[in-house]
Amino acid sequence: MATSPSHSSPESAIIEQVITEFFAKSLHIILESRSPYVSSRNYSVDQFMSSPSSSCSSSSSMPRDKWFNLALRDCPAALENFDIWRKSNLDPLVIDIVLIRRPLVPDVARPLGGCLLRNFSGNRDLALEPKSWKIVERWIVQYERHKSSSSKNHKEIRKCGTKNNGGSSCSSETAFYKKTYERYIILFRSLYVLIRLLPMYKLFRELNSSGQICPLSLSHRISSSIQPFTQEDEAKMNQFTFVPIDTPRGRLSLSVQYLRTLEDIRSEPSAPLSLQFILDYVGSPTTDPFRRLKSLPSARSSPPLVSFTRQHSWSNDHGALASVSHCPSVACSEARGIRCNPSLCLPPLTHHNDHSPPVISESQNAAVTHKNNMSFDEFWPSPFSPTSSPSSPAHLPGQRSPNALQSGSSQIDIAKACPNTASQTQAYSSEGKQQIKMDTLRCGNYRTGLTLVKHHRGFPSGKDDTEKLAELPSSSTQRPRSKSSSGLSLSDKFDDCGFACPFADYKDVTGSCNRRSPDAVIGAVVRMLTTAAPLRQGLSDLCRPSQVFMDESLNPCVQHDQDNTEQSECRASTSEILASVLLKSKTAAEGLEELRRYKEMKESILKRGASWSSDVDSGPKVCRQ
Amino acid sequence: MRCVVYCIQLSSIEHQDLFKPKDVECEHFEITYVRCGDHEIEKKIDEKIDQFVGWVEKHPNRKGQICLSFYEVKNKHATWFGSKIERLHWEQWYINLHVLNPKSHENASEESSSRQAALESSLREVLFQIIRFANERKDHIPTVQNSEIISFPYEISTPSSSDSSFGWHADVLKRMLQTGHPSMLS
Repeated sequence: MATSPSHSSPESAIIEQVITEFFAKSLHIILESRSPYVSSRNYSVDQFMSSPSSSCSSSSSMPRDKWFNLALRDCPAALENFDIWRKSNLDPLVIDIVLIRRPLVPDVARPLGGCLLRNFSGNRDLALEPKSWKIVERWIVQYERHKSSSSKNHKEIRKCGTKNNGGSSCSSETAFYKKTYERYIILFRSLYVLIRLLPMYKLFRELNSSGQICPLSLSHRISSSIQPFTQEDEAKMNQFTFVPIDTPRGRLSLSVQYLRTLEDIRSEPSAPLSLQFILDYVGSPTTDPFRRLKSLPSARSSPPLVSFTRQHSWSNDHGALASVSHCPSVACSEARGIRCNPSLCLPPLTHHNDHSPPVISESQNAAVTHKNNMSFDEFWPSPFSPTSSPSSPAHLPGQRSPNALQSGSSQIDIAKACPNTASQTQAYSSEGKQQIKMDTLRCGNYRTGLTLVKHHRGFPSGKDDTEKLAELPSSSTQRPRSKSSSGLSLSDKFDDCGFACPFADYKDVTGSCNRRSPDAVIGAVVRMLTTAAPLRQGLSDLCRPSQVFMDESLNPCVQHDQDNTEQSECRASTSEILASVLLKSKTAAEGLEELRRYKEMKESILKRGASWSSDVDSGPKVCRQ
Repeated sequence: MRCVVYCIQLSSIEHQDLFKPKDVECEHFEITYVRCGDHEIEKKIDEKIDQFVGWVEKHPNRKGQICLSFYEVKNKHATWFGSKIERLHWEQWYINLHVLNPKSHENASEESSSRQAALESSLREVLFQIIRFANERKDHIPTVQNSEIISFPYEISTPSSSDSSFGWHADVLKRMLQTGHPSMLS
């Protein structure tokens, strides 16, 4: 009664088909609950009723999803080539569920981890960094064929025949197959329930339902060989093995190894998980127009970005926060108005090799707090540039200015020198006209701009304060005159800092500049200049003796008061200092001086003419011969 | 309760038609269980569970038990009182529950969250056990002879149906008259 080994081939074909479908069904159930897919998971019985696959119930042409009386959702793509890949039922089917962690910022050098890692060919390693993925589950489906016709199965078959009231061997075998098939059904239902109880299912649901960007993703790897885990990984895993099901010629088994908890994986530090925005977002009114675009090649050599919390693109802190991630270092001091966000303070300059300018500028309403330990050595854009607009980031040269501010300087929102002496000389050559050359301003020389404004202020009003505007440097290395006797030291200090601001209210200027647009800053400076008190009276008095001295040498007819002489005597000590400064006057200052003298001469001549005419009228007439 | 009952039901029901599972998320726990998709069976299960919940509300802090039995109908014998139907229970699941009302403490939220986490963990463990039991022993499951039968007959017994003084006795007598002496499970 025993079943001969060389039994009918159709029976063995059926057995082989059942075994093959067993593998396919296992893979289907596992991937359906572990492989994220695009289609919605919400399905109902009606969908099955309307689907064409559910209408067919014949065993020979039974659709794959109807095998073992368990209807599943659409077959994943992994099953499409399953039959082609699967060469033999004797090879184990190993399904590794892989949890991939990838950084949010795409890195060119690193391949994206979201791609499907399925591998039907076998033992190819994952093309990812070792620490960026981890096997969280391993499902093993195996068919072990008995080496010889086991008597155990024959007993089983006979037992089934006995239960069926001692039928023929065929009926006993049929009963055995039915019994075995029922066991398959129960196993797959248990598998369906079990896979939803494992810890990974929760993550699968979150990844499927969440529309947010997540650094974690699930993938799977299919192979036909079992790669053992390390002892450390094995200790973290639990195992569940279904009771093997005997077949006429072998045994089918299904087991799973899964991580006990996923909390460790989720808490493992890796790439920054916080969201990062496009730093050089164009269009935001708070975007610094002079910020270097991050897409430039030099930006890629920057150090890893510091993660920061997301800020609204229209918030006041946008520019500040967005900038720091590529900003190597920003110089701040207590005296300045710019404040940097302490949470975004970056390492010192030495860590950075990108000369991209910091994004923080007075054009943005960035409420950032500054740090004393930060050093500034970047190129700041000019606040007076007319081309600055909120929506057009300028490409600034990355070279460091020779007058770059060092730590401790008080004005960092002023642009550094963009050597453009030609435009400066053009501005200086204009006479009597206020010309704030746009090109001059664009070069970012705040000193130059201020000098021009100063020039305008002193010239048309006719005031005797030409000395104030005597200093019109033709190059950026010239020093402006200071207001007081101690002004030189102050100017020296400024020069050391690479900046010259001869006005006393420079702090206010910078303070206001921090928070206003460039145009507003220009207006404020102009207003300040127009309303500012004249330069030191002492300076004008000091200059007069020398002027008188010069007038006496050039024009002896000019009368001078004894008061001036007395004043000159009193300020002889300071006049020496000023003389040295005056000796360095430029052509424009000399011209103005000459003009003034000509005016005085004219006035004096007119007076004399008037006096002469009066004398002629009153006294004897002189006949002309 | 629904998780447990449906899990047991899913492991034991034999469907000739295509079985279309339906995933259901627990309201209070992060557990997904599966329903069989048959409206009649789901309705019957839900009714029994609602009965049990009603009994728990009436009898707080008391232990209760739900019994899920699968049986075969054997040997219909005609008697004077009616047809005698013999039930051969081939599988019985006893679900013991002790529902406690939480006491009000100062740190009620923390305790409730920890209690809920512990309950979820134990529920998950129970479901694992059910799957393990259902897979370990399958030989006793009878073979479906009649293709017209959709599922094995089953019975859900709750305390509410046997707790009333008069109803309990009537239910027992009725069963005795219908089924006779219950056979022992192998």
